[in-house]
Amino acid sequence: MSEAVKVVDDVAFEELLANPYPVFKRVRDLGPVVKVEAANIMMVTRFDDIMAIERDPETFSSINPQSLLNTVIGPNLMRKDGDDHARERVAMDPSLRPGVVKRCWADSMRAICDDVISQIEHKGEAELFEELAAPIAARALADILGFDGVDWQTMALWSQSLIDGSGNYSHNPEIARKAREAASGVESAVDRMLPHHRDNPNPSMLSSMLQADPAQTVEQIYANIKVAIGGGLNETRDSILTLILGLLQNPDQFARVRAEPSLWGQAFEEAVRWISPIGMYPRRLTRDVEISGTLVRKGEQVGLCVGAANHDDRRFSDPEKFDVFREKKSHLAFGAGSHFCAGTWVSRALVSQIAVPMVFERLHNLRLKDPELVRVRGWVFRGPTHMPVVWDA
Amino acid sequence: MPTIRFLSADGTEFAVEAQNGRTLMETALENSVPGIIAECNGSAACATCHVVLPEEIMLALGPISEHENDMLDFAEAPRESGSRLSCQVKVSDALDNISVRVPAA
Ligand code: FES
Repeated sequence: MSEAVKVVDDVAFEELLANPYPVFKRVRDLGPVVKVEAANIMMVTRFDDIMAIERDPETFSSINPQSLLNTVIGPNLMRKDGDDHARERVAMDPSLRPGVVKRCWADSMRAICDDVISQIEHKGEAELFEELAAPIAARALADILGFDGVDWQTMALWSQSLIDGSGNYSHNPEIARKAREAASGVESAVDRMLPHHRDNPNPSMLSSMLQADPAQTVEQIYANIKVAIGGGLNETRDSILTLILGLLQNPDQFARVRAEPSLWGQAFEEAVRWISPIGMYPRRLTRDVEISGTLVRKGEQVGLCVGAANHDDRRFSDPEKFDVFREKKSHLAFGAGSHFCAGTWVSRALVSQIAVPMVFERLHNLRLKDPELVRVRGWVFRGPTHMPVVWDA
Repeated sequence: MPTIRFLSADGTEFAVEAQNGRTLMETALENSVPGIIAECNGSAACATCHVVLPEEIMLALGPISEHENDMLDFAEAPRESGSRLSCQVKVSDALDNISVRVPAA
């Protein structure tokens, strides 16, 4: 006998935004699929269930032409499956492979981090979201896309406006207007840059898309560049801050990482498991199916809560603790299946090999200005939003 | 049906009947061979399905794509001359009885 989907109706939306992990735990223990009224979605929260779902894209489809994401940015690879998805993914991959990151992007990423840190180094204090992580993430992204001359504030505004527009379920006209403005801003930037990249093949994403076989249409380029902007900035930004936060709160672990730099990679994986920048993404059912015994109907949408799966105590002991030295196990911060994060290797290199080590190297005796002032927020997207620090200048 | 001999990192052998046309990664997952995580489920994006094949077979399998080649340099266990992403290798009669080693991560 299959079970019906249980419902949680006494959680306020604000609770999810402030700290989703207690809600995730309750939902995870209640059942494999639970409808959370405040978020208006059926949540899948257990690690093994999500992994199994991501191995079955025919049942759990990403295709959703009616989604707000498609309305805001056009038909894009995040909402496609199979060959349609693969063709567009292959068109951007040559810019994002780990070896390409190392050979083609590492030097410019290092220069960006150096420049951003140089601007604050003498001050002895800073708010790291605005003065460090956002500019680094935005500038590195502009570089990889092949967007010359777009400043980081514009990148950040476009990114946030596209994200807000894709989540604008209440149809707020102002949010919709900003998203349209961002979309046309991105399209003009693409138009402006395409001739250059057509004449000068290079490792940037615009250039890769132009060189792809089959060639990408301008509509595909517009849409997938918008995906890269909406989905490639905040994750890097947030994981830079999360890794710094985890290490500042755990000086003993920091001491070990500092003494053994090969541990930076491991520290980064733990940071994105601990506070996953993307906490949830949707899949739509193409048939009636049981998820670990709970029946979900064809056409319904489920939210794969990877943030919850990364705190699943069936898999991770003391999941709420930041522990670089926990037993090694794979996590779901980059998702799984064919939509596995395309920017994984860029973020690993930028955050764990370049940005955060350089921060600790240059800002001596770095510490939180006041632990009470640190703000971490969000559930679909989650990360530190305010992080004042001081150091010995 | 060819037999594939998966050798896990601790030396345990899993001799399994494989279906032609399936990938080595799918075959390993279906038989719960430890060490094949395959996060991206065969999209050549995660490098967590790294295996080491006998060198003679490498020649028979033909050239590795540029993408896989790049990815293999970043797999957790160091690359060897027989390294492949198991999701990019299809089972065929040519692979009958080969041993496929899962390197220690
Ligand atoms: S399963 Fe991810 S690279 Fe093979």
